[in-house]
Amino acid sequence: MALTFHIPGPLREFTGGRSKVEIEDSPSTVAEALSALYAIYPGVRDRIATEQGHIREHINIFVGDEDVRYTGGLVSRVPAGVEISIVPAVSGG
Amino acid sequence: MIGQVLGHCRVVSKIGEGGMGAVYRAHDEVLHRDVALKVVSKSTGLQSSASQDLLREARASSGLAHPNICTIYEVGETNGELYIVMELVEGKSLRAMIGDIGLPAESALRYGVQIASALVRAHDRGIVHRDLKSANIVVSAEGLVKVLDFGLAKRIENEVLEGSTRSLQSLQDKSTISGTLPYMAPEVLLGESADFRSDLWALGVVLYEAASGHLPFKGNTAFEVSSAILRELPKPLGPPVPPGLWAIIQRCLAKELTQRYQRAGEVQAALEAVQSNVIFTADTATDRGVPRTTAFHGVRHLQVKRGDCLLLVGTLKGAFLLRSNAQRKRWEVGGPYFHGQVVYAFVYDGRAGQHRMWVSTQSHWGTFLRSSDDFGKTWTNPPEAPIRFPADTGLSLKNIWQISLGRPEEPDILYCGVEPAALFESRDSGESWSLVRGLFDHPHRPRWVPGNGGLALHTIVLDPTECRRMYVAISAGGVYRTDDGGATWAAQNHGIRVMFMPCKYPEFGQCVHKIAMHPSRPERLFLQNHFGLYCSVDHGENWTDVANGVPSDFGFPMVIHPHDPDCVYIVPVESDEFRCTCDGRLRVYRTRNAGASWEPLSRGLPQKGAYETVLRDAMTADPLDPAGIYLGTRSGQIFGSTDDGKNWQKILDGLPPVVCIRTAVIQDASSSSPQTPREDSRSTSSRTKSSVTSKPARRKG
Repeated sequence: MALTFHIPGPLREFTGGRSKVEIEDSPSTVAEALSALYAIYPGVRDRIATEQGHIREHINIFVGDEDVRYTGGLVSRVPAGVEISIVPAVSGG
Repeated sequence: MIGQVLGHCRVVSKIGEGGMGAVYRAHDEVLHRDVALKVVSKSTGLQSSASQDLLREARASSGLAHPNICTIYEVGETNGELYIVMELVEGKSLRAMIGDIGLPAESALRYGVQIASALVRAHDRGIVHRDLKSANIVVSAEGLVKVLDFGLAKRIENEVLEGSTRSLQSLQDKSTISGTLPYMAPEVLLGESADFRSDLWALGVVLYEAASGHLPFKGNTAFEVSSAILRELPKPLGPPVPPGLWAIIQRCLAKELTQRYQRAGEVQAALEAVQSNVIFTADTATDRGVPRTTAFHGVRHLQVKRGDCLLLVGTLKGAFLLRSNAQRKRWEVGGPYFHGQVVYAFVYDGRAGQHRMWVSTQSHWGTFLRSSDDFGKTWTNPPEAPIRFPADTGLSLKNIWQISLGRPEEPDILYCGVEPAALFESRDSGESWSLVRGLFDHPHRPRWVPGNGGLALHTIVLDPTECRRMYVAISAGGVYRTDDGGATWAAQNHGIRVMFMPCKYPEFGQCVHKIAMHPSRPERLFLQNHFGLYCSVDHGENWTDVANGVPSDFGFPMVIHPHDPDCVYIVPVESDEFRCTCDGRLRVYRTRNAGASWEPLSRGLPQKGAYETVLRDAMTADPLDPAGIYLGTRSGQIFGSTDDGKNWQKILDGLPPVVCIRTAVIQDASSSSPQTPREDSRSTSSRTKSSVTSKPARRKG
């Protein structure tokens, strides 16, 4: 069952303006889901992750309502049909 | 219909048939003038409520008096038929003029400016066209553009379209393609109501069509056209379409509303800029295989001409561009570019006849090196970060602190100093970058420690006479020099004191804040340390303290006068802890004898309650004669002097904290004006006495 990525405004330049991207495959982990997203829209990769493949410090990935930082990071399981949100951290100053 | 009277207009003959109904030539029997009469067909299926909306809107549009708008004289309803009386415009539709091959760029620009001008007036009055297209634009024999049907057609066609788009089946039927679908903005297709920016999208489609002869988004079915509008990028337009025009079209066609132009006036100004004598190089980023972004909301762009002097200003919240002529008395402000992003490095590269600006941007989304060939109107936004640590290093780029140009005879070479401390090199004009392994693999590197700002390689100095020699400064690692083009590096810190270490004179680990060299004296370097002012006269082998008479030997920036190798500027600040200008007075200190003595320069700078900090790259000089010396503060002020620092003027305030300033003089090879950059950098300063009465910069918009 497809899962859906919610794409924040700053990344839509690299998704042809789309705010939602559906992944037809059934990835089992966050890493696999992100890889599928990168395959379609390569420009988002370096915005979400460092060159070493780590999620950037101030970028949060939510699977449903859960921040993957607290559920196992990139190897967190991805239930079928779930919505994944890419959310920059709130900052001040 | 012929011979009938609607209102006080007698129908004379039929001109044509449009989506809304028939258009007739008519004669106003009261005002004795020929008019066009549009009768809205009952077959449009217009509901009575929509009919009232149309009437209301047509009445509002009738107040639009503008040379490029077809004036609506009257709207009315008789016997259930809606009619609109309007100015009779005689000419050809733009659609017909465009044909299959498009118009010359000059014509496309001329018509585009007029269409944009019409939109400016309408939008100012709160009226959205909703159906701008080449078929709705008429050009008279004299070249005067008239935009038709303001605020009229779309309401009707939406009604029709909605009826025809309820099922996928009908969308796939060729017969249901609306004539205006190719001009519809993505947000309109997605069901949002059209606003001013939807008109700007349509203007982008018209410009694309005018420039190329074909539509940017095509398909055999309505579904395919819609899909292209929503997801695809238009095929790039190369020569003979000017890159500036292509950049404007791209920004009009930004799918994200916020990334599009926000006002028609911006499009008009941009088109006029391309029309005028603005420098645009032919080599666009698209040609270089790198996509551009146009993602700047509410950005003010500058028209830059040959002979102009620019200040490139990086701040903690974005970049700004200041423009003046060679007199440098008045400054215009462009930007902000890269809203909210940290810009630590911003330089101009005029080598080999190009006009390219390079900038580093840092945000939550990472650090990217980007460039612009049109003075900030458009920027590259490479899908893949150009500067990246190889996998085996295990490191990730945090920031680009310095962008440095190779020597003039090596126009393809660029360097970047980054955090974590490393040097990157490009030998193909920034297309690709590689880590300078000779420095990265230096045995000292694991023992370098971060300074307050992080572990950064922040300064790169090239020896202009020895092409294989260069220096870098690292906080806190010290100065390193290579004499073999980067293969091997040696620490050059002998004599530089380290206050914060048990060993005061270690081989390396100095927290160097800045080093500077005058090209005419490549053997001599000056150095501002984390406590300590130094000079070396032997390529950095040995350093001598030259803090003779300064109120503090702590500071960050250090700039050498472009025409006087003995003249150096610094901004002392009070101690490591406080890091503000001494005694609440912003004073630049200058030596004119290579550090033997220093004198304060304060005239025109705030001398009361000015607890300022000038960061390491926030002071610079321009190469004109007399030279301009500039500094920016963490409080967001920029000051400048064109008499070697004797008198200072505030150029701008209210900026975010300034982290870097660089200058550019846009070369004019044919000019022999004394304000052009001096050819002979070995000559000493002219010590001009002229005092400049500069005015604060103008913020447009």
